[in-house]
Amino acid sequence: MSGLLLFLVSMVSLGAIYAMLCVALNLESGVGGLWDLGIVSFFGIGAYAYVIVTAPPAASYQAYIFGFEAPVWAGMAAAMIAAALFALLIGALTLRLKREYFLITTLAFAEVIRQIFVNEAWLTNGVAGIYGLRPPLREAVDPSAYGFLLLALLVAGLAIVFLVTRHMVISPFGRSLKAVRENEALAITAGIAPRRHNLKAYVVAGTISGLAGVFYVWYNTIVTPGQYSSDVTFFVWTAVIIGGLGSLRGALVGGFIFVLLHDILRFVPVSGEAAATVASLRTAVIGLALILILRWRPNGLFPERATVFGGAAPAGAKAMVSHNA
Amino acid sequence: MPRIGSESAMDILIFGTISASILLLSSIGFSMTLKTEGFINIAHGQALLMGAYLALWLDGLGLPLWAAAILASIGCGFTGVILNRVLFKPVKSKGILVLLFTSVGAAYVIYGIVGALAGKRMLAFDLPPMRAWQIAGQPFMTPYEFAIVLLAIVSALGVHVFLTYTWAGKSIRAVADNEDLARVRGFDPRRTSDIVWFVATALAGLAGVFLGIVGSLHTQMGWQMIIMILAVTVLGGLGSIYGVMLASVVLAFGIEIGLMFVSSSYRTGLAFALIIAVLLVRPGGLQSLWGGGKTRTH
Amino acid sequence: MLDVSSCKLSFGGVKAVDDVSLRVEPGSITGLIGTNGAGKTTLFNVISGFLKADAGSIRFMDRDITARDPSEIAKLGILRTFQTPVGFPRMTVMENMLVFSRHDRDRRSSPFSPARVPAETLEAASAILADFGLYQKRDVWAEDLSAPDLKMLEFARAMMAGPVLLMLDEPAAGVNPALIESLASRIRALRDQGVSFLLVDHNLKFVCNVCDRIFAMADGRIIAEGTPDEVIADQKVLELYIGKSAKTDLQ
Repeated sequence: MSGLLLFLVSMVSLGAIYAMLCVALNLESGVGGLWDLGIVSFFGIGAYAYVIVTAPPAASYQAYIFGFEAPVWAGMAAAMIAAALFALLIGALTLRLKREYFLITTLAFAEVIRQIFVNEAWLTNGVAGIYGLRPPLREAVDPSAYGFLLLALLVAGLAIVFLVTRHMVISPFGRSLKAVRENEALAITAGIAPRRHNLKAYVVAGTISGLAGVFYVWYNTIVTPGQYSSDVTFFVWTAVIIGGLGSLRGALVGGFIFVLLHDILRFVPVSGEAAATVASLRTAVIGLALILILRWRPNGLFPERATVFGGAAPAGAKAMVSHNA
Repeated sequence: MPRIGSESAMDILIFGTISASILLLSSIGFSMTLKTEGFINIAHGQALLMGAYLALWLDGLGLPLWAAAILASIGCGFTGVILNRVLFKPVKSKGILVLLFTSVGAAYVIYGIVGALAGKRMLAFDLPPMRAWQIAGQPFMTPYEFAIVLLAIVSALGVHVFLTYTWAGKSIRAVADNEDLARVRGFDPRRTSDIVWFVATALAGLAGVFLGIVGSLHTQMGWQMIIMILAVTVLGGLGSIYGVMLASVVLAFGIEIGLMFVSSSYRTGLAFALIIAVLLVRPGGLQSLWGGGKTRTH
Repeated sequence: MLDVSSCKLSFGGVKAVDDVSLRVEPGSITGLIGTNGAGKTTLFNVISGFLKADAGSIRFMDRDITARDPSEIAKLGILRTFQTPVGFPRMTVMENMLVFSRHDRDRRSSPFSPARVPAETLEAASAILADFGLYQKRDVWAEDLSAPDLKMLEFARAMMAGPVLLMLDEPAAGVNPALIESLASRIRALRDQGVSFLLVDHNLKFVCNVCDRIFAMADGRIIAEGTPDEVIADQKVLELYIGKSAKTDLQ
């Protein structure tokens, strides 16, 4: 029983991290129209920036030269700043490209960045990664209860990210972003500069992904380049599509549904060769779910809804109705 | 012969030629479907995986390698036709983002099934060892490598002849340019589309077999290759089949030369650094150098 | 108000806009006529900054706007419309309006500015929508509107933006002939409130009826200008239109 509970806590925690990435991706790619296949770049940059700032100095068998043992808040700030700066740089270079080229170039940057994580051991300790990273408040509670505390932290983080993003989506900023997605030329005539506006969305999404990277380090207590391959990008896109591209609720729920589909089989105890088979079949199940959703519910489980504004009817509106009728 | 770093100019020439051949074979089909169907087919990478493992299985049954390769390639071709009819065609009207992610779904399914059947171990074709030929005292290619290069060139020429001179090829180009007009002229888009998918996926399957012969077979090969295929395709200008031919060569040699300066684990990183550089200077890819680039807007 | 002087733009040897100069007086309705391919829409794109002129200059309210960013030009108070009024398809009618509101214009640049739309902005938008018979459809996605409703929404958006100069590309196209006179009177009413107009239309009768001044274009050049009566009587314009109708008769 307690094993199952711990497993559930772990799944929901992972779901919260994915949901955070989904909310970020949905802002730029669902509300905005950017087909970004490089969201993992900022997830990884955030994670590594956090680790470099907060990890202890390297042991004799490790190769990295930094490790400042700074407090958690400094690591989080560093992660978000680093992710934002890289997003600014990459976005400024790539946002002038047309759709398909943008999509492939962002994927390209993600691949280059992953290879930097692999190769520059002085910075990242290479393929071996960095182990034994202490998540925050580790000593505050009994080790067996820490999973719950971490879950609470992650859910709180997700709630903040969701509320901030929701605010952006329904504010004039988000409306303009949608306008550029829907009709770029018309949006320009409303005084919107599409590239600059998209760049802001790209940087915000990158910053949120960087923060999600910090949470992912807390969750794993290790950081390795393999955790930041383009698989993550495709998984997050899959989750957002299942939830409903452009829909805030969809993004939020999509992350959890994805983890449910992808990781629930992990609880089934199998070993050796069978584990590899199960892992492969898990991927096939995700693929099938994606195909079926796109075929029969292309707008996702929670499609984007019309925004309704309140307000009193203007004088004369009634008259128009009767006139029209 | 001057030595540059640890690799000689001869090594660069040989390895560059072999990688260019395999890249070319992998990318032509991708480019064909991009041009005729208008979307990025991520499942193309998994067709390489499928071809390689299918050939390995057939080879294991006792078939000679050449027969296994041909049968695997044909099997991939039919899979391509089925994928198109069952998965892609029904969602074609829903836009390229839906098509793109349907192909991601298909890629996951193929990857998952092959992985479940074959396991995660690295495998290799059981080939009788052959020594590399010597040219002027320098080791040249092995007969296998030479055959791969030859077959890649023949296939590329074949695609060229097919597109330019045969009725089916002409109809492919006609449908890609304007489907309605092509229908009026008597080309059947449905049949044309079947041919494209068969040829494209069969070539990918063959490329997968070759990749397995030159190196080894592992379940990640499809994902690794789709990244390289995207690099080649972007470099060549999206959907330009002749641009792809040039880009394969440029990229393969660019990587071999670049690897003299950086660690070999930067292989794909180098490919992408190259295309990032090209795109930032020429946002339409290499194809725009000779002005054939069709500009699509957002 | 608007001063276009000696603007030139060619595409691969074809002179789409060839040494064009024109003026829009403040508080006037200026028309631009000409056959298909005369360069009218290209000139619109040059003025609104979507295309950059090869030569020449454009001044608006004593400011040089040549080769400025189109969104900057829009912010100065020039609003141009497009021939196909699709709007923002997956946004509601009300959102279509708000994107063009002063409220959004002032606050859109920061992701952290307040999200609530003030009541007076909503009321202003509602009043305009009611005026165009769209109030009941305010929460409907624009993609679900009929073609005439989309056309009305286009005018409603323009009213919401409150431009100084309104450039209308084919305003009468697709409008029910019975409603063209009401369209003309709306334009005149706005003119009386101080808005200037530059409009392109194929409907000669409509243009002559509504405009104070007309420029006629052919092959990228201005071939005639003056009051509607003067332009209609111009020999070159007559040739252009009679020649054209003769050609259409032959087909």
